[in-house]
Amino acid sequence: MSNSAAGTSSKTRAASSQPSEPSSKRRRGVFHRELQHMMYGFGDDPNPLPESVALMDDIVVEYITELVHKAQDIGSQRGKLSVEDFLYLIRKDAPKLNRCTELLSMNEELKQARKLFEHDDENLRKTFEDDADG
Amino acid sequence: MKQSKDPFESPPESPIQTDSDTEDPSSNSLISQLSNTRTTIITKNNKDEQEEEKDDMDIYFAMFPADVPPKIAKMHSIVSQFTDQQMRRYESFRRAKFTKAQMTRLVASINGTNTVPELISLAVSVITKMFVGEVVETARIIMEERRESGPIRPSHLREAHGRLKLEGKAFKRTVPRRLFR
Repeated sequence: MSNSAAGTSSKTRAASSQPSEPSSKRRRGVFHRELQHMMYGFGDDPNPLPESVALMDDIVVEYITELVHKAQDIGSQRGKLSVEDFLYLIRKDAPKLNRCTELLSMNEELKQARKLFEHDDENLRKTFEDDADG
Repeated sequence: MKQSKDPFESPPESPIQTDSDTEDPSSNSLISQLSNTRTTIITKNNKDEQEEEKDDMDIYFAMFPADVPPKIAKMHSIVSQFTDQQMRRYESFRRAKFTKAQMTRLVASINGTNTVPELISLAVSVITKMFVGEVVETARIIMEERRESGPIRPSHLREAHGRLKLEGKAFKRTVPRRLFR
C-alpha cells in the first residue's frame, strides 16, 4: 500500500498513522503552530480555537496559491518568476508594499553587513599571519 | 483591563507631542469602544505598517547611531509603557513568522518547480503575515459589531474573508486564464 506522493501526502500520512478515532482526526494544517502565535499576536485569544486555526490555514493557503498564480501570469511574459511580480501585485496595498520593500532592503543591508564582517575577518587573519611570519 | 496608562488614545498619524497626555482615556471614537488590548493591536499595527522596524533593528541602530528616526523613538516610548499582557501579545506579534522551509515547499509546489528563490519566499511570507493580520483584525471588528466576545470563531473568519474579498484585498478564486501558452 503506497501513499500518493502529492503535496498533501503529509496530512494523509498523519491521519493514517493515528488509530482511527470517531470524531477528530489529527490533521495539522500547513502552518498550524505559526498561525496560533500569529493570531494571538494580531488580536485573538492566547489559545485560538483549533477550528479557527484550521480555517485560517485554508484561507492562507488559498491566498498564497492565488498570489503565486497571479505572479506567474505576470511573470510568464518575462520567463521567470521574480520578486518584482509580487511587488507589482500588491502595488495598490500601501502597507503591504511598504513593509515588503522595507524588509527586502533590510535583507540586502544585512547581507552586505555580513559580507563586510567576513571580509574584515579575512584581512585581520592575513595581517596577523604576516606579523607572525615576521 | 487597565485604563490608566493607555498610550494609544491618539490616532497614529498625529504628531509626537500628543504622546504626553496619557490621562485622556478615549479620544479616538472607534477605538475607544474596544478593549485596551485590541486598541493596542490595531493602532500598533497601523504604526508598524507605516514605520520601518524589524527584529534586527538593534543592529540597525549600531550601524547608524546618530540617525535614530523619530518614528522609531516614538515606537520605543510606546513599547516601554506596555502592560504585561500587551507585552506578551506584542512579542508574539513580532516573533511569529512562517517557517522558511514550509513556505518554500508550498510555493514550489504551486509553481511546479523544485526550488524557489529565497527572496520570493521571503516576500510571500511578509505579504501573507500582513494578510493574516487583516483577516484577524476584521474578524475582531465583526465580533464587536455582533457584540460577541471570547476567541475568534470560524464564522467570524469567514465573514472577515468575505469582506476583504469585497474590498479587493483578498483574491477571488480565478479560473486559470492561461488558454494559449
